[in-house]
Formats: sequence, C-alpha cells, structure tokens
Amino acid sequence: MTIVPAEDEVVVTHEDIDRARDRAKVRAARMSHSLRARAWLLWLLIGPGILVMLGENDGPSMLSYAATGAKFGIGFFLPFVALTFAMALVVQEMTVRLGAATHRGHAELIFERFGPFWGWFSMIDLGIGNFLTLITEFIAVRAGLGFFGVPPWAAILVALGVLYSALLSHRYWTWERVTLAAAAFNLIFIPVALMTHPHWGAVGHAFVTWKPLPHLNQDTVLIVLSNIGATVTPWMLFFQQSATVDKGLTTKDIHFGRIDTLVGALLAAAAALGTIVATAPLASHAMNAASFQAAQFAQALEPLIGRYGAAAFALGMVEAGIVASITISTSSAYAFGEVARKPHSLNLPVNQGKSFYAVLGLCAAAAAGIVLIPGLPLVFVVLVVNVVAVLAMPPALVFLYLLVNDKQIMGDVKSPRLANVVAGAVVVVLTAAGVLYGLSVVTPQALAWLGAR
Amino acid sequence: MGEEHIAGPEEASWILSTLERDQLVTEKAAPVPRRRLGGGELFVLWALRVYVVFMMAVVFWQAWSATR
Repeated sequence: MTIVPAEDEVVVTHEDIDRARDRAKVRAARMSHSLRARAWLLWLLIGPGILVMLGENDGPSMLSYAATGAKFGIGFFLPFVALTFAMALVVQEMTVRLGAATHRGHAELIFERFGPFWGWFSMIDLGIGNFLTLITEFIAVRAGLGFFGVPPWAAILVALGVLYSALLSHRYWTWERVTLAAAAFNLIFIPVALMTHPHWGAVGHAFVTWKPLPHLNQDTVLIVLSNIGATVTPWMLFFQQSATVDKGLTTKDIHFGRIDTLVGALLAAAAALGTIVATAPLASHAMNAASFQAAQFAQALEPLIGRYGAAAFALGMVEAGIVASITISTSSAYAFGEVARKPHSLNLPVNQGKSFYAVLGLCAAAAAGIVLIPGLPLVFVVLVVNVVAVLAMPPALVFLYLLVNDKQIMGDVKSPRLANVVAGAVVVVLTAAGVLYGLSVVTPQALAWLGAR
Repeated sequence: MGEEHIAGPEEASWILSTLERDQLVTEKAAPVPRRRLGGGELFVLWALRVYVVFMMAVVFWQAWSATR
C-alpha cells in the first residue's frame, strides 16, 4: 500500500529503519576524534570495496592466474596483473562516489538518466556476463571440493547452503560481515605461494623490468584478456554502487569508501599474485597446464608443496567460487530490483522483498543446476567468461564516465580531470585488448607479423 | 515498495538525524530526471555497441570451435 504523506510528514519503511540503525552507529563514531574512534568508524564503513575486490578473485579469475603462473612462470604477468588492479581501483572508486552522491544503484541511474533503450543494452551485457560467471563459480566449487573426494551434488549443495545462510539475517550489515569473513579466506593463496619457496630475486626483477616478456601469439593474448577480465568486470560496477547505497554511505563517507576499495585492491592483488607465484614452479617443470581445471592445479602442486599445501589451494578455489556466487547473484538481484522498481535491499524481510530474494536465489540455483547436468560442455563457459567480461566493459565504463561527470546528479563530487583521463585510458586499453584478441582469432597471421616486429 | 508507515515525530526526528532525506525509500521512488545524450556521446555508445556484438560473435565462435 502506498501512503500519500502531508508535506511535513515522513514515510518510512522497514528498510529505512534498519539502515538508520547502522547509520546511527556511524554518527556516534564520528562524534569522537580519538584514534580508537577513527578505527571503529573505518570498521563500520568498510565492506563494499573489499567485498567487490575479493569477490572478483573468483573461480575463473584464480584459474586464470594459476594458468598464467603455470604457463609463463614469474615475469611480465606479475606487474601486469598488479596494473590491472590499479585500473580496477580507479574505476571502482567512481562507483563509491556515484552511490554516495545519488543514493541510487548503477542500473537505476542508467535507465533513468539515459532511458530504457541504453538501459536494456547494459542489462543484457550484465545479465549474460553474470549468469555465465555464476556457472563458473559453481564449477570452481565442484572442482575444489572434488579434490577431497566430495561428490559434485554435495559440493553444489554446500555452496548454495552458504549462499542462502548469508541471507538469513535479512540485514545488510550481517550479510556483509559474514561474506567478508568468508572472503578473507581468499588470502590462503599467499601462504600457498610461500610454500613453493619462490625465487624472490626473480619476483623483484619481474616487477622492475616486466621481463621475461611472453611471445605475442593467440595463447598470450587470451591470457592477457583473461587476466584483465579477472580484475575489471561490469558486475563489479553494479555491485559496489548498489552495496554502497544499501549500506547507506553518504558523501561524508567517500574518503572511507576509497580506503575500503584500496584495501580490497591490495588484498586481492596479493592473493592474485600469490596464485601466479604458487603455480610458477609448474612452468619451470615444463608441466603442460593448458587444460587444467581448479583441482588439477592442486594435484599438480602436491609433489612440490605437500598434501596440506595442495589442500589449501583447492580450498582457496572453493572459497573463490562461493564468495563470488554470493556477490554476483546479489549484483543481479540489485540490478533487477532497480530496473523493475521493486524493493531491493538486503535489509528487507523476505515478505517485503520477495522478488529481490527470488532473483538472487533463482539465479544461483539455476547456475548451480547447470553445473550438475552431465555431458554439458562446461569448459566452453570457463573459456569465454573472462573474455566476455573484458569485451562488455568499455560500454559500461562510458556510462560510468558520463554519470560521474554529470554535475546535476553528482554536485561537488563529480569526477576530477585526472580521474577522467585515467578512466579514458582504461577504456582505450580494454578496447585495444579486445581488438588484439579479435585479430588473433580472425587473422592469426597479422598477430604473428606483429609478434615478429 | 516495502511496508511503509508515517513516522511519529520522535521516529521522524531520529530517522532524519541518521539518514539524508533522499536516502529514504519513498524519496527514491521519484525518478532521476532524464538527460539528453549529445551527438558525440551517441556516436561512442553506438560504436562500442557494434564492437561488443561483433566481438561476442568472435568469442563464441572461437570457444565453440575449441570445444568441438
């Protein structure tokens, strides 16, 4: 029922009251300027940035980093992956400002500001990308738990169980903390890397010189695109902006939103680089890892790092799949609610957010179900998912660019010139990477000619 | 929209001291005004749309070939 209030009356919903409770803690923390109060304030305000970055260290991403290490060892791809996280940081910071300034989700703003024609294009890109990625998350969980002998149906049930359990509180705050706790497990790839006793001199040399360089061929281009798609993808824009709004951040919190995103980028980059370093010994042992799936990397590493190390690697794959399945299905549910103008918040009780929870639950269940169908060419999905993300990113970034430079909705927090230059450069780099990939497929001779030069 | 009610004076005062008015669900029901895209912006968006459609076809063709 919609209530029409008098001018001086305030109409509130359950969602507003829950959000106000969270914001009351933030307001109280702001009253004091002690170091302890600042630390408490940071603790209250972090979340979306760390979640989006660690969430993007998902099944296909970790698989991509593992394949990179196993194929190319320590070299060009270490600084390259670090650079992709820097790109992600610049882009995601914009979504913090956009969410805090407008209190609207990304899909909602595109639809309302540019109309449904362009809005539907964005939604189709997001929908296809999210669903394909969700499938790969469950593939990662199945493969990771398969290392321990868990049958596929049980692995999928575990993943869905964790996903639905995180929603049980019907509170954004609780959901965020539960998911953050699960996401912290992504850092397990760092001790796994240390167990391989990496050659630190080679690591340092790679960061300084970007060498050894890989040969320019179709495989290299595919790995380049996979690694870019492992860090910058459209769902991240939609998720972080919607989570920023759901958390209730305002323009006063942008500074903390930036710290949140920076910490997330640093943690995720450490885990990603750890994965490359962990699998680099496979390259020096001339292991052919071209068609490895998650658990096969763990099995291949077992002689080098022992049973516990290999088990930790497999568990890392499970975590990557589960956390990303939570964040990606949530991003789909937010976007659906924003476009359909249905209630969309993790603060909603089930009876008030039926469509939100239905989309979230059904997307995950459908993707999980597909993974269990015998005989489907799932390797097809794993192959394309990160590449699709890279290709869909430039149009998403142009919408983001237009929105963060829109004085009417952004007011004083519209993008500074430097951020615009960097965002423009990211669009050019992503488009160029896509064109290079297209060249490698359509005219491999042209790529060979380029590589020879 | 979820179940809503008119807040009493005390509740309204507490809500508005913690949330900005445009954070309220009922306030967000009002759409953001539409913006007209310029010629240059439309050109870039259409060019990127053609790029995405073409490249997606390339990706699916390559992946399909690889799995056969």
